Amino acid sequence: MERRNAIFGIVLVVPLLLWLVITIGYPLVLCVKLSFLNVEFIGEIGSFVGFSNFVEVLKEDILWFSLLKSLVWTIGNLLLQTGLGFFAALVLNVNTKATRFIRSWVVLPWILPTVVLAIMWRWMLSGTFGVINYLLIRLGLVSAPINYLGSVKEAMGALVFINSWRWFPFISVLLLAALQSIPQELQEAAVIDGANGMQVFRYVTLPALRPVMSVLGVLGPLLTFNVFDVIWMLTQGGPSKATYTVPVLIYERGFKAFAMSEAATVSILSFVFLLVFVAVYLKLTRLNVGEYMEQ
Amino acid sequence: MKRFLLFSGIFVVAVVCFLVPCSLAQVEIVIWHMEQPPHRVEQFQRTIDAFNKENPNVRVRQVVLDWMEAYTKVMAAIAAKQQPDLMFTIPDFTTAVKPSGAVQPVDEIFQTLDEKYKFFESAVEPYNYDGHYWAIPVYGMVHMLWFRKDIFSKFGLDPNNPPKTWEELLESAQRIGKSGEIYGVGVPASKHMYTDQAIYTFMITNKAEDLFDESGNLVFDNPRTVQAYAFYKELYKLSPSDASVWTWAEPQLAFNTGKMAMAIEKGQFLLPFEEESGVPGTNLGCAVVPIPQNGQRGSIYYSNGVMVLTKDQSKLEAIKAFLSYLFDPEVNGEWLAGMEPGLFLPVTEATMNSNAFWSNKVVSQYRDHVELMIEQSRFGKLFGFTKGRVNPDIGKISGQNILAQVVQKVCLENMDPAEAVKWGQSEMLKALQRKK
Repeated sequence: MERRNAIFGIVLVVPLLLWLVITIGYPLVLCVKLSFLNVEFIGEIGSFVGFSNFVEVLKEDILWFSLLKSLVWTIGNLLLQTGLGFFAALVLNVNTKATRFIRSWVVLPWILPTVVLAIMWRWMLSGTFGVINYLLIRLGLVSAPINYLGSVKEAMGALVFINSWRWFPFISVLLLAALQSIPQELQEAAVIDGANGMQVFRYVTLPALRPVMSVLGVLGPLLTFNVFDVIWMLTQGGPSKATYTVPVLIYERGFKAFAMSEAATVSILSFVFLLVFVAVYLKLTRLNVGEYMEQ
Repeated sequence: MKRFLLFSGIFVVAVVCFLVPCSLAQVEIVIWHMEQPPHRVEQFQRTIDAFNKENPNVRVRQVVLDWMEAYTKVMAAIAAKQQPDLMFTIPDFTTAVKPSGAVQPVDEIFQTLDEKYKFFESAVEPYNYDGHYWAIPVYGMVHMLWFRKDIFSKFGLDPNNPPKTWEELLESAQRIGKSGEIYGVGVPASKHMYTDQAIYTFMITNKAEDLFDESGNLVFDNPRTVQAYAFYKELYKLSPSDASVWTWAEPQLAFNTGKMAMAIEKGQFLLPFEEESGVPGTNLGCAVVPIPQNGQRGSIYYSNGVMVLTKDQSKLEAIKAFLSYLFDPEVNGEWLAGMEPGLFLPVTEATMNSNAFWSNKVVSQYRDHVELMIEQSRFGKLFGFTKGRVNPDIGKISGQNILAQVVQKVCLENMDPAEAVKWGQSEMLKALQRKK
């Protein structure tokens, strides 16, 4: 019976495994293979060059520059998204007519197609026609239009804001679900024991959110680090490489400079970097969870 | 005897049944192009429908792409052996796709069409290298100075005497821009093909059009190029603040809505000018691009072409039929003028003299402008394709918009133009040396 169950289990898992092999395993192997060849265009056979692509790419300043930009992008997004998401979740957790209405609509930015979002923000932030600059000037807050996406100083901030505006509803919905799963009695008991609002938040609410936050802590950086579409559609990594993140470097190397093997090499390096991050993160969060359990 | 007749009858019916579908089998030709505005797609569809109706054995189908994704998509399609049969192109794009091995020489098609319709040499030249023609030119595009006559009058400038020199251009732009209401001029500083083209136009007028010398050495870093970038920076200072992210649409809108008095662009302003500006078309001025002292007349000119990406014999026959239909002067004239009057200039003498082209409402309204553009085309040049030489690796430079990146260094990072051009030269060398 047990053996039959095991076989049945395997039968159920095999399609998923096959799917993973086809959609993740095969492209990954191809990418690794490409990084050891000197292929310029997709479809070229190329010849084996050993580790020379890795040596060349690691020597380039642009790799480290784009990695730094990716870190700024990722950290900026995580801080803003988490802050906004947390705030929105706490507000929406209060049960009123208004919050019930907002709960249905807060996800709107998240479900907008990227193209729509990019075009919308591009025009809203335009220095010549944009409604945001128009309002700021009319209100007397600025004297000249601010070039949000076209200025080396402002572009990264503007992109982080736009991407956070898009993704914070997702975080707030996840946190809201976690908040709503906290038994009311726990909070009431804490209040009866003399805890003030801040203490209830610190000792009851926050620990209950920790599992969701832990998952977000690993998914958020991975998803954000790899974002390409919004950046490409709004700034193409510019102006003057102000938003030139690793995915933009990979795309440009592969499809603009026609150096597919170098693009694959940067991809592999970026993959390894993220893998190390996940390993470290999991190790650290497991320790934290252990500490929390001991308490 | 009866049995013989019966079998013969069955045999004949079988043969007919086999042959008829064969003769009726349609050959499908898929064309990829990057002309996205809806009116262009509609005009192309009208031309395709007319051809399909006349040629029931061929079915031509258009697929529209964005220029931004063209490189990526065609490479992926070639790798998957799913490439289109025909693809629209520009000269440097052809050099970029050609190493994939998918681009087929079009010598025979070209010669047949050339004998009948006579292509302009400047349109053909960038596609003729390595002993073959690699695309058939379909329309030309050239940069001009566009200016608003109504704005010129408002600021006391002579609307019938547009700037002819760099100094006059700068002075006019400063005079208009001083008001704070309207930008005097608009030049882009985005990492985009538009910026590549705009700066190159100024490089040409300053006699810095050659990126390579006769021996094929990169000579981008030279004093004349530096001068062109330094002047460009002066113009950028007078441009709308978001010119650093401009693509094609923004300058046109800024110009047509009267927020900007002058632009260096191609002829796409003609069609929407009256509707978007709300003023009569007589207020739209068109002039040759101003030149510096000791400079030369010129601007970027390039022909868009069509590449053949199939080796299938039946498809090749269908392609010949389609192209000879498309180049028929009356069809071609109507197609070009209908796609975007003023932007798409004829590349054959036959179409140049066709009634269909000149009778288009917009072309006839702005006939002087169109004639001036055609005249300016004779002074046109394209980077990587000067001195009758074609650098096969120019796609690596244009693909990365290195000319535009140098503009960004100068205009956005305030780098000294000489240093920025030096940086550009080293980036170009890196791009060229990347080939292993």
